[in-house]
Amino acid sequence: MSDMSKPIPLNTMKTEAPDNAFRFEDEPRSGRLGFLEILKIAWRSIRANMLRSILTALGVIIGVAAVVALVSVGNGVRQNVTNRFSSFGTNLLTIQSGQSGFGGPPGLVRGGATQTLTLADAEALRDLKDTRIEGIAPASQSNGQQVKAGSNNTTATVIGSWPDYEVVQNAEVQAGTYFTTDDVDKRRRVAVIGNDIVTELFPEAEASSVLGQSVKISNVSYDIVGVLKEQATAGFNDPNTNIIIPISTFSQRLERSEYKGEPTVRTITVKVADARDVSAVEADLTTLMANLHEKTSSDDYDFNIRNQASQLESVTAVFSTLTLFLGAIAGISLLVGGIGIMNIMLVSVTERTREIGVRKALGAKPRDILSQFLLEAIVLSCAGGLIGIGIGMVIAYFSTSALSVPFVVSIPSMVLAFAFSAAVGIFFGFYPARRAAKLDPVDSLRYE
Amino acid sequence: MSSAVLSLKNIKKAYVMGETEFWALKGVSFDIHEGEMVALMGPSGSGKSTLMNIIGILDNPTEGDYILRGENVSDLDEFDRAEIRNAYIGFVFQAFHLLPRLNLLENVEVPLTYAGYAPWVRRERAMDMLNRVGLADKWRNLPSQISGGQKQRVAVARALAMNPALLLADEPTGNLDTQTGNEIMGLFHSLNDEGVTVLIVTHEAEIAQQTKRSIRLRDGLLESDRGHEQQRPILHEAVFGGAP
Ligand SMILES: Nc1ncnc2c1ncn2[C@@H]1O[C@H](COP(=O)(O)OP(=O)(O)O)[C@@H](O)[C@H]1O
Ligand SMILES: [Mg+2]
Repeated sequence: MSDMSKPIPLNTMKTEAPDNAFRFEDEPRSGRLGFLEILKIAWRSIRANMLRSILTALGVIIGVAAVVALVSVGNGVRQNVTNRFSSFGTNLLTIQSGQSGFGGPPGLVRGGATQTLTLADAEALRDLKDTRIEGIAPASQSNGQQVKAGSNNTTATVIGSWPDYEVVQNAEVQAGTYFTTDDVDKRRRVAVIGNDIVTELFPEAEASSVLGQSVKISNVSYDIVGVLKEQATAGFNDPNTNIIIPISTFSQRLERSEYKGEPTVRTITVKVADARDVSAVEADLTTLMANLHEKTSSDDYDFNIRNQASQLESVTAVFSTLTLFLGAIAGISLLVGGIGIMNIMLVSVTERTREIGVRKALGAKPRDILSQFLLEAIVLSCAGGLIGIGIGMVIAYFSTSALSVPFVVSIPSMVLAFAFSAAVGIFFGFYPARRAAKLDPVDSLRYE
Repeated sequence: MSSAVLSLKNIKKAYVMGETEFWALKGVSFDIHEGEMVALMGPSGSGKSTLMNIIGILDNPTEGDYILRGENVSDLDEFDRAEIRNAYIGFVFQAFHLLPRLNLLENVEVPLTYAGYAPWVRRERAMDMLNRVGLADKWRNLPSQISGGQKQRVAVARALAMNPALLLADEPTGNLDTQTGNEIMGLFHSLNDEGVTVLIVTHEAEIAQQTKRSIRLRDGLLESDRGHEQQRPILHEAVFGGAP
């Protein structure tokens, strides 16, 4: 090997080379093409047609980006709705007037239905002294009430209820106390006011310093006995602008409507101590209400009981279906991307017929050729998948912040989208790859 | 006494085109011994390439037996054919058939890759082969950057990479000018001098004259086998009698 200009005799190398000379025949051979080699071949051919490769992967990129973005935004919206519902507590039962049907959360009362729910119903429920029930709160509500204190005024939602409103609605006080049952019985003019009412009517005052002061609602003065804690704006009205007064006072001073001689209430909300009892209590309440209203058939019921948990379930189900549906549409675009890959791979196989022939003449087995083209398709679709996940996340990030819903990173949906794009590569790459593998070496060498 | 590298026994090949079948080979028999250099001649369409493809195990004969290194390889599936091609056959084509995206070294490495050798073994062996054909210094070049004669040298290096039992060349000088063609023929001669068994298809009687033995085909049949007579009797004993 010292004289480079002179050819090294092949066979003498075999027989006369010194013991330590390199002889490839002595080296181990696996007899098969290594995975890295296949990957290298596939990558080279992708790189050689970079623009075409990118355009081919674009279908998968768009498909995966759509899947990831839609699922992420869908999950964000669902989580937002779930949060709103959970803030009401999932062990609440809400009784309203009218036939049952899907409506919004409690507090949002449908107009139109005759108010047949009365305070007498609430009292009858209370008289049950059912130990599974943690609290009962009838509620009447008057929106947009002008409230004054001195020269300041603001708009509030005035709710008439019982002291149990605190436990039922999770509306605790930060200062003072709730009014008492005695206050309700005596129709006292006392009020528990929301945090924002304090800041509007008594600027720069501490919550505790407003206790004992008074506010005017409809020209009637109320003593402030408690101030509600600041609450997150969950649901459809702001709990921080609520004023809670005894329901008896409410019907005397603000709004009075009667049904069969009894004052009506908009809702009766029952809090069940243990979430597992919710269904049983719901059934018992239904029976009791039917008796009170003298209804024998469920078709005649003039009330309905809503179960927060089951409502949440149905809303969640709706969102799951919607997410699935959008995901399916995105999946179809992924499928279209796969067809694009198949198309290009078929072109690629035809273009490289000669190369396939040469490789076969040099010892490539059908499975080597199959792996080469299959891997090329898989690399294309997986790269498309990864880029798509990135783009999808960016889209999801900006859409969720625009919709002000939580940005939920759903790892399973990303893994699924990636796995799906790999599967697309395998599925749509297989046919062209098999076609390449089956090419006759003699014919492909002759191919022009 | 030299042993037979290959032995063809009444090889026939039919091409089926729709209704009609065309017999490109109608029964060809001969042996090639280790260390021989044989020219395969004959007019265009006489079946030379068809025969080369069968000898190179790129194709199966329709009838007849092909014994390569004592093993009957006439009816193998594509997997086994690929392995035998890789291990025993070195093919040189008229149109060079280098892979355009690979550099010269990588081109020579291809058969070693399919054999499953480690990267460093492939490189070292491929470099030796490029050196052998005098192109070691150009290993980084792409095929498009070298001349036709150089391409054919790389193709020879690639054909030699696996140290094959048989070097096949189907009109290797057909795309080259006379001068370059002669150089390539010189390369084949020197390889043969070193013991490589070579079978070359050629049109040019001049080239055939340079080889000790030349076989002539006409219409799918063996027309003559010059320079072979003295070996024939020995051969029949050794192969036809002794083969398993
Ligand atoms: N794939 C094929 N299909 C049909 N006929 C073929 C095919 N390959 C070769 N032939 C025919 O077989 C005959 C021999 O061809 P070939 O072996 O290429 O001849 P040569 O190499 O001696 O010129 C020719 O008549 C040719 O047309
Ligand atoms: Mg020919």
